[in-house]
Amino acid sequence: MAPYTLFRPWGSGSSFDDLRREMDALFRQYGSGTLPSARGAFPAVNLYETADAYVLTAELPGVRPEEIHIGLEGQVVTLHGERRIEYPADEKTSVHRIERQSGVFRRAFELPVGIDADKVEAVHRNGVLMLHLPKAPEHRPRQISVQGG
Amino acid sequence: MAIENPTHDLQLRAKQELQHESTRPGLVFRPDVDILEKPDAYVIYADLPGVDEKTVQVRLENDLLTLDASLATLPGEGWNSVHSEYRVGGYHREFRVSDTIDSAAVAASMRDGVLELRLPKVERKRPRTIEVRSS
Repeated sequence: MAPYTLFRPWGSGSSFDDLRREMDALFRQYGSGTLPSARGAFPAVNLYETADAYVLTAELPGVRPEEIHIGLEGQVVTLHGERRIEYPADEKTSVHRIERQSGVFRRAFELPVGIDADKVEAVHRNGVLMLHLPKAPEHRPRQISVQGG
Repeated sequence: MAIENPTHDLQLRAKQELQHESTRPGLVFRPDVDILEKPDAYVIYADLPGVDEKTVQVRLENDLLTLDASLATLPGEGWNSVHSEYRVGGYHREFRVSDTIDSAAVAASMRDGVLELRLPKVERKRPRTIEVRSS
């Protein structure tokens, strides 16, 4: 297995201004609003942010849930597994077209803030993996109530 | 013959967007498919990530097989995109089927975002073995 290539979509700085600048530059470069993934890595992922969590999605059709392995170390999420496609090896089956690929995959992502590791949830539905990554308590928005004197 | 290559590293291929589907809102992609032929049926496997089987439509008119599906898995409300490598949408693909298909017996099933479409050949198209008996 080749080592993970750590992918930092937001660049080396942690500031969101840096991120926005880089995103803007990439949008200008590619025009479509969709970034190329790091070196054509599989699977392609989308990352969303909500007030209290990050949500990572990846299209993994034909991959069984038990063949997807997810790790979390600090702010780094790793994803690896295998997509197996096997057809019966008999002379009664002829193959007209093969477009769907099989093979192994691995990717690593660094999140901008720490994650509450105990509350991470992963669901694989309709061939789409959805990772719900709650932010560590100190990174969640807080409502401070004002008391009257 | 086995179609298997487990040590191969998967490479990302961009989803192929269809440009001519102007009658429908949203993006439409051309799904990757594998097509196998068995003595009694054709079997098509199509990658349809994000699709619920209830939205899959398969039509067979004369020799044209049409596959349509719309997306079930959408980003939630209040999700701000911070990084995007793929786009989502429906799927459309057409196939010419050379042999006569028994359209009433076409069967579809889905698992983990992959559609399996079984297209049985009509009885007379199947190869038959005729036994010759001596009396």
